[in-house]
Amino acid sequence: MKDNNPLSPHIQIYNWHISSLVSISHRITGVINIVLLTIICLWIASLLLGKTNYGLIQNFLDSFLGKFIIIGTVWSFSFQILSEIRHLFWDMGYGFDLKISKITGLLVIIGSFVLTILIYVIGRQII
Amino acid sequence: MVQINLPQNSKIIKGKYYKDQTGSKNIRKVNVYRWNPSTGENPRIDTYEVDMDNCPSKVLDILNKIKNEIDPSLAYRRSCSHGVCGSCAMNMDGKNGLACTKPHSEIKGDINIYPLPHLKVLKDLIGDLSTLYKQYESIEPWLKSSKKDDSKENIQSIEDREKLDGLYECIMCACCSTSCPSYWWNGEKYLGPAVLLQAYRWIVDSRDEEKKERLKKVADELKLYRCHTIMNCTNACPKDLNPAKAIAEIKKMLVTS
Repeated sequence: MKDNNPLSPHIQIYNWHISSLVSISHRITGVINIVLLTIICLWIASLLLGKTNYGLIQNFLDSFLGKFIIIGTVWSFSFQILSEIRHLFWDMGYGFDLKISKITGLLVIIGSFVLTILIYVIGRQII
Repeated sequence: MVQINLPQNSKIIKGKYYKDQTGSKNIRKVNVYRWNPSTGENPRIDTYEVDMDNCPSKVLDILNKIKNEIDPSLAYRRSCSHGVCGSCAMNMDGKNGLACTKPHSEIKGDINIYPLPHLKVLKDLIGDLSTLYKQYESIEPWLKSSKKDDSKENIQSIEDREKLDGLYECIMCACCSTSCPSYWWNGEKYLGPAVLLQAYRWIVDSRDEEKKERLKKVADELKLYRCHTIMNCTNACPKDLNPAKAIAEIKKMLVTS
């Protein structure tokens, strides 16, 4: 094959649908979760440094940005868990029908937000 | 490797505009990917105004109309026009399919037609599928049997025959493989949905005697496990087959056998 033959357009022109969106989000949240877990570990380790340090981080987490990060973390983990459950069913050979995969994909997206709200509300002891 | 942007020589430039000559009131704009190997220019998108009052129902009919009545230089593959040969596989309205079975009434707005994604373009809508054919050859898609007696039928039970349903119908049009992002990024090594569905078709054939060897050969980090169940393949298949499920069945067999 001569090198001057062009490559036909791919991701630029291909339509997104629910399964491909959930798939790429699964990957992105996976990478984010690794970073988040490291940060959470560092946070816990920093408690060893004493009370002032604890207060400093607590102040940050109470700020608007801090709350955004906490909610984002909860969503990222919620999405990953639900999507992973979907993958487990696939690994057992179920849910490959186009309609079913569309419904389960939607359930993952909607469920991740529901789970985020539930965890946040319960965690903050609002209910 | 993941490379989102197109290489410099593949960037699409603005093409020609063919105005309607028939004076028809029912016009649709059709944007077609064009590339001519003899000019050395970048690929371009040509826009044709097509008279829809005198055009049959499928996207292939539009292309035939353009070639016959507007611009004879347009190149594309087609043969049976009944969804059997798989020649006219292309990307229409952002999704792969067969031009001969895709009704243009399903497409809203302007009709965008591109070659199958992430292939070396030979001319206009014709992509180079030789890598895929080599990969198809690598799975040895023929019956392997030690039976030497040709005088008797090689009998298969009804249940065993049913296992091939949803697999033997594949026409190797490459709509699924070229819709798969994993195949875009690892097309040299990952076999892709079309070839893996064929691999599975021979693995589950009760008459074939090399099931184990076939499984062993396909069990590879790159050849098989680049499938991340994105489901673009099943979404694209114009014959309503399910390559994603076939790949999952191979993975399941490897774990359980």
